[in-house]
Amino acid sequence: MKVVVGALCALITMVSISMGSVVRAQEVTLIIPQLSEPKTLSPSFAADTGGYHPGSNIYSHLVVMDWGILEGTSAYGDLAKSWEYSPDAKRVTFKLHENVKWHDGEPLTSADVKFTFDTIIANKYTFSSYLSNVEKITTPDDYTVVIDLKVPDVAFVPMQAQAAGWTGKIYPKHLWEGQGGFDKGPYVNNPIGSGPFKFKEWVRGSHVELVANPDYFRGKPAVDRLIFKVVSDKNVARAEFEAGTFPYLPYDYSPPLAEFAAFQKDPNLEVILNGSHYGRDIQLNTAREPLNKLKVRQAIAFAVDRDAMSSLAFFGLWKPAQYAIVDTQKKWRNDAAKFPDHDKAKAEALLDEAGYPRKDDGWRFELSVTNPTFSGSVGIAEVLVQQLRAVGIKANWDKYDNSTWYSKMGERDFDISVYFTRYAPDPDAYSEHFGTGGGRNFMGYSNPEFDKLAVAARAETVFEERKKYYQEMQAMLVRDLPYINLFNVLQPSLLRPGWTGFNVQPSGFNKSITWFGYSSVKPPQ
Amino acid sequence: MRLQRYILSRILQLIPVILTVIVINFLLIHLAPGDVAITLAGEDADPAYMEEIRRVYGLDKPFYEQLFRYLGQIVQGDLGISYRSREPVLVEILRRVPATLMLVGTSLFIALFIGTWAGAMVARRPGSLLDSAVSTLAVAAYSIPVFWLGLMLVLFFGVYLKWLPISGMYSLVAPKEGLGRAFDVLNHLILPALALSTVWIGQYVRLSRTSVAAVYNEQYITTVRAIGFPSRTILLHHALRNALLPVVTVFGLQMGLVLTGAVLTETVFSWPGLGRLIYDAILARDMPIIMGAYVAMSICVALASLITDLLYAVLDPRVEL
Repeated sequence: MKVVVGALCALITMVSISMGSVVRAQEVTLIIPQLSEPKTLSPSFAADTGGYHPGSNIYSHLVVMDWGILEGTSAYGDLAKSWEYSPDAKRVTFKLHENVKWHDGEPLTSADVKFTFDTIIANKYTFSSYLSNVEKITTPDDYTVVIDLKVPDVAFVPMQAQAAGWTGKIYPKHLWEGQGGFDKGPYVNNPIGSGPFKFKEWVRGSHVELVANPDYFRGKPAVDRLIFKVVSDKNVARAEFEAGTFPYLPYDYSPPLAEFAAFQKDPNLEVILNGSHYGRDIQLNTAREPLNKLKVRQAIAFAVDRDAMSSLAFFGLWKPAQYAIVDTQKKWRNDAAKFPDHDKAKAEALLDEAGYPRKDDGWRFELSVTNPTFSGSVGIAEVLVQQLRAVGIKANWDKYDNSTWYSKMGERDFDISVYFTRYAPDPDAYSEHFGTGGGRNFMGYSNPEFDKLAVAARAETVFEERKKYYQEMQAMLVRDLPYINLFNVLQPSLLRPGWTGFNVQPSGFNKSITWFGYSSVKPPQ
Repeated sequence: MRLQRYILSRILQLIPVILTVIVINFLLIHLAPGDVAITLAGEDADPAYMEEIRRVYGLDKPFYEQLFRYLGQIVQGDLGISYRSREPVLVEILRRVPATLMLVGTSLFIALFIGTWAGAMVARRPGSLLDSAVSTLAVAAYSIPVFWLGLMLVLFFGVYLKWLPISGMYSLVAPKEGLGRAFDVLNHLILPALALSTVWIGQYVRLSRTSVAAVYNEQYITTVRAIGFPSRTILLHHALRNALLPVVTVFGLQMGLVLTGAVLTETVFSWPGLGRLIYDAILARDMPIIMGAYVAMSICVALASLITDLLYAVLDPRVEL
């Protein structure tokens, strides 16, 4: 019995292995793992982390950005060949590439761009946050789009360039007109785009397959078949990478940092340790006792020990961030606005002064620390709890899944949470994080002076002048401490040597078309 | 006639059971924190858009109104539309059923046959070295977390030996047709089925060992032994038939879980089945899918227990319907 079963298994294995090795000649297949299943293949109507990969390779965008942001590119044109601001920063004129065709052969024109943006605004889809300043969109000819803004805003282009990678795809008017929204009709899951790859099939729970678009206006990509495989377990993705199924292990799947020393010695691995324009920090709920007291927030700023955190949680690989900005955006930095150095005694003294001496049980007061599950956040929270406890704050660690965490933040139901402030593609991002009522301002921070500076900075076209505004805003943040910056995010990814043009490699910067794009990838020679 | 009436009354009993399950689940899911509007609209969303989402899905209505609306839908056979994919829940669920049936069905039968057989074998000589070894292994297999076992199998057979594919249901690099495709799927099935059945085998080994050993102490076994039947015949014809009853019960209960019993295994092996769908739906607070899966699950459990009861009547002459 056993022998028979064994023999059968062996037979099946041998047959399958021999069949598996028949790979069609010269066809380049690239399989990329992604954590979640797409909700739909229509990325412009709802946030969908599983849909960004296929969407960004099927569709084109007006303007985009990618990891070239690390070298300072805040936006570049995808469909837009060029764009120009009027001197008052209230009008942007985009010139489109003229040889772009939809996957069904129809030409792409300015009418498609206008139709897409108008639909997004009318339905209040997610991307409309980045179009809220749009007064009107006009199309003087087939290849010109003119956008008039309600108030001057030089951040308009870079901010939408980043969000385009998620939810700002340009849709074909001739197919979607009359469908009643980007979530309805036959093209939701059978997308016709104008991007480097055409949609082939979506097998639910398994993968989405795309094929190279031979008529792509930048030329046919080197990869013939691009497959996004849903792998929700990081260890399994790692095993697939080891076994050679994936030549690239994106940072979402980063193995433990402890292993990177060994990786760097391995000649069969290219280790990529990129920075980011995101930071990791903590948001303090300033509406709540006792965090509404500045002295308490100052005490916490003294209590955190970034170096200890880095060595405990990140094997020393994450670099501390002690300014109100991250290192990759240094050009905007105010060197005088620095969060305090770690000083436990100072922290204790401030807490005493604030009226929270240690009680008989040794604790001063109790609060909760929470975090999303994005990379690094869990490790920071874990160490932070200990560092707060060391100064007598009885910190409890509340762990949630991301969906619950988002609701809690939205309801302002938290004391301290790990957060991920972004400082680019344009420093106007400060206003969404710290402006009164800003979409990412969960801290309840409201400073009319700060808001005024943000408006002025948006209308300023001269870099040196703009910089002054943002440096003043940074000083306010370090003074008022609604948040405490902790780290520069590190994004470790692994690659098999020889492959080039991945979006995390300099050879893919400013040509990947979003950081989900693979059109510039080239296989080893 | 009596049998038909029995089946009919059992099926009628299903209705209040399933309704209760729906109400309880609805309650539980509503108590859970997390907001689908945020998972759908994303962190950069316009608050007006989130309100719109809540309105479109009726989430702004009071709880009892949502419940009655849902019950009304269910009665009409409509499980609703998935929040995430905008597709009918029934379509979403049915699309995933074949993959899950293949994985769970295969594992369940492997576990049933190998487990029962091994348990019966060692039961003949309780306390022997073989018995101790098999029993210990069974407890170990039963206690191993399936995701850990899955990862170890992946490491050994997939990464180290490179004999078997690691995840998914078929090869994406070189897709095949016909017979090649069947072999390819079978090849991808080996590791997940091995992981899942190992965990279940332990249960069956212990169950069948205990129950066969108990039957061996019955007087009629002593009688057939005295008559001089070969031990193989005694085991297969006399002991096993009676010893199988508890095994059938457990098997029946597990059949009820056939649709959802493999969430972890499917997640580890990226198997495109129903368990993964439920996992994703829970993370995204996609209530129609979660509710739909629960309804399907409760129908499955109810049907499985009905079938088990019927089987019992066939196997055990003492049971009358």
